[in-house]
Amino acid sequence: MKSPFFLRPPFLAPATAAAALLLGAGCNRSDERITVYRIPKETPSMPPQAGPRSAAPAAVHWTAPAGWAEQPASDFRKGSYFVTDADGKKADVSVISFPEAAGGLLANVNRWRDQLKLPPITNVVEAGTPMEVAGRDLFFVELVSEAPLSPDGSKSRILGGIFPAGAETWFFKMIGPDALVASQREVFKQFLQSVHPAEGEAAAGSAHPTMSANSGGSDTNAPTPPPIEAAQGAPVQYTLPPGWQTKPLSPMRLASFKATAPNGKETDISVVALPGIAGGDLQNVNRWRGQVQLAPIDEETLAKSAEHVQANGHDFLLVDLVSEQPLKGEKQRILAAILDEKQQSWFIKMTGEDAAVASQKSAFTDFLRGLKIP
Amino acid sequence: MPEVVVRPFPLKSPLRVLSSLRLTVVCLGLGMLLIFLGTLAQVHLGIHAVQARYFQSLIIFWSPPGASWKIPVLPGGYLLGTVLLVNLIAAHAVRFQLTKKKIGIILLHFGVILLLIGQLLTGLFARETQMRIDEGQTAGYSEAPREVELAVIDKIDPNFDQVVAIPEAVLTRGGTIQNPTLPFTLKIRQFMSNTHLAMRSQVAQARPSLATTGFGPNIVVEEAPRTVKDDERDLSAAYVEVNGVQDSLGTWLVSNAIPDAQPFTINGRTYELVMRQRRFYKQFALTLLDFTHDQYAGTDIPKNFSSRVRLVDLERNENREVLISMNDPLRYRGFTFYQSGFDNNDKTTILQVVKNPAMLLPYIACGLVAAGLLAQFSMHLFGFVRKRAR
Repeated sequence: MKSPFFLRPPFLAPATAAAALLLGAGCNRSDERITVYRIPKETPSMPPQAGPRSAAPAAVHWTAPAGWAEQPASDFRKGSYFVTDADGKKADVSVISFPEAAGGLLANVNRWRDQLKLPPITNVVEAGTPMEVAGRDLFFVELVSEAPLSPDGSKSRILGGIFPAGAETWFFKMIGPDALVASQREVFKQFLQSVHPAEGEAAAGSAHPTMSANSGGSDTNAPTPPPIEAAQGAPVQYTLPPGWQTKPLSPMRLASFKATAPNGKETDISVVALPGIAGGDLQNVNRWRGQVQLAPIDEETLAKSAEHVQANGHDFLLVDLVSEQPLKGEKQRILAAILDEKQQSWFIKMTGEDAAVASQKSAFTDFLRGLKIP
Repeated sequence: MPEVVVRPFPLKSPLRVLSSLRLTVVCLGLGMLLIFLGTLAQVHLGIHAVQARYFQSLIIFWSPPGASWKIPVLPGGYLLGTVLLVNLIAAHAVRFQLTKKKIGIILLHFGVILLLIGQLLTGLFARETQMRIDEGQTAGYSEAPREVELAVIDKIDPNFDQVVAIPEAVLTRGGTIQNPTLPFTLKIRQFMSNTHLAMRSQVAQARPSLATTGFGPNIVVEEAPRTVKDDERDLSAAYVEVNGVQDSLGTWLVSNAIPDAQPFTINGRTYELVMRQRRFYKQFALTLLDFTHDQYAGTDIPKNFSSRVRLVDLERNENREVLISMNDPLRYRGFTFYQSGFDNNDKTTILQVVKNPAMLLPYIACGLVAAGLLAQFSMHLFGFVRKRAR
């Protein structure tokens, strides 16, 4: 008599192997095990953490032109300057560095374009020109906004230099009113020409914990958050109108929400506080008008057109701006409130599609009434 | 008239299904569909997630965005492979006879079986890691590019560090971790596969940190979805509470984004906590002597890379120079070191380190298939020639 099929030779060996494999697959894999081992002492690759973050040894040196007023460097800024013209208009110069390629040339040029409300580009060749600095390539970028974004109602201009040096990429940027920045072009280029990597420190990082994986090269995740000087404010308290949801905070926002309108479109609500008058009401309103491509207005027109909302003893200036043309495929609306109080300016702003923002207007004023400014 | 064999086996009809050619065709069809869908899904999920979800799985589930339930939609790669394997074996058991005439077919099928098994073994046991060495430095370990570990390092010995390495799979489970070599327990209060980190001074309104000591309180952590891009790396983070016999020593934030080890002392002994890419130590070490990289004339396109390394293995008295270049990997002790990249102005080499116990199986399998085909066709050819000669 023949033996049953599963005991016949052609079946037996592979079947056993397959069964063993499948069983093996279910067993505890080495991925799950805690291992203990001894290794020869390693020389520490990182110095022990310094106490307060002292100024990091800059791996790149530069010489600031005469007439630029140096500002204190911050966590992100390795260098910071103000350039002021005869009318008192200011342009801001910053020097920052990110580990590795910081997302790449194109991403960073597009980040700057975004700051000027310019659409992203895909071809890096359009973005600027390479220039040779200290025997290396520095990428020079010049961008002008289409809309008036400057506090003085003029367009904004960026002059930038992107300089890969060792393990870091350095960003030199001047941003300010169009005419002022344009007049500084040659000065800025000379400034870029003065940039050179420090001898022997090209790879030195910053003293505070480096926000990058210790290895893996370009495998690091996304650049660190952009440098933004956030106001150090006490927490704000508020009552959340029905239908609003909180959103993750970004460095600038003290509170962040979204609301979905009956038409299904989402609006974005932000609460931001900045020190001082932050440019003043008119300049901020005109900045927002620029965002919805409306012409700038003067003080008088603002005084006539703006509403006021009284809430909790605060006097909010409320503006409601609708774009004349469809932007991004649909009309956009900005509903914003400004409050100047206690040496701070508070900006509460809702943006989104026209009808969606309109449907949330009463919720927005309710929100202002429920807001407790510390 | 064909003889009908009636077997007293109730297994007969399941066996018939298992061995049927229809099942083969269905499996192959589903396999093609799987590859097609898997390729499309790479756009959104990235190659690693697709491999895990589509090919290294038994069942592929689908759930609408935002829903908590899921439904099985397609058999995964492992299931299809296993069914094909069983199908092939069952077909042999039921239909084929071991005769000289069938030797080609049997060899060929055995080759295919070996290929399937080899693939399964590779999926289960192969490991790809990376070794980064700076010029003049020596590395004794490679790192997993997509997996982290929490290392607890005991520094008391002047010559050696004792490391307790807790892999990501254990961290993900959370809970309390105890190890006989440690006089304390570790409580994983939260593990996040990918995060965005920011200095607290840069974030105006951030939630208070779970961390109470170390650099953690100064850092704001926001959980993020795992990256699907090939050129990005997850920045994982965890809040780890160290508990002595009586009380808690505090909660630390650890992240592979921050390579600084954080020390703490318990019973007069200092330990360090650090999260890093998962390390695999080798019984030998490589020292990078020189990395070179040529470009095609007048362009930035790399023509070749090569690393001259010194291989030192004290156990086997090995001490020699090796040149690793693009198509000339180093094979040693079951590991293959491929030249994979470079960094840091040509001062750092990146080697891909592959360990695959089933590496030889595909070669053997292809050889068997080729031999089987050759045998089968030669037999036909000779038969045909003989017929004509007659």
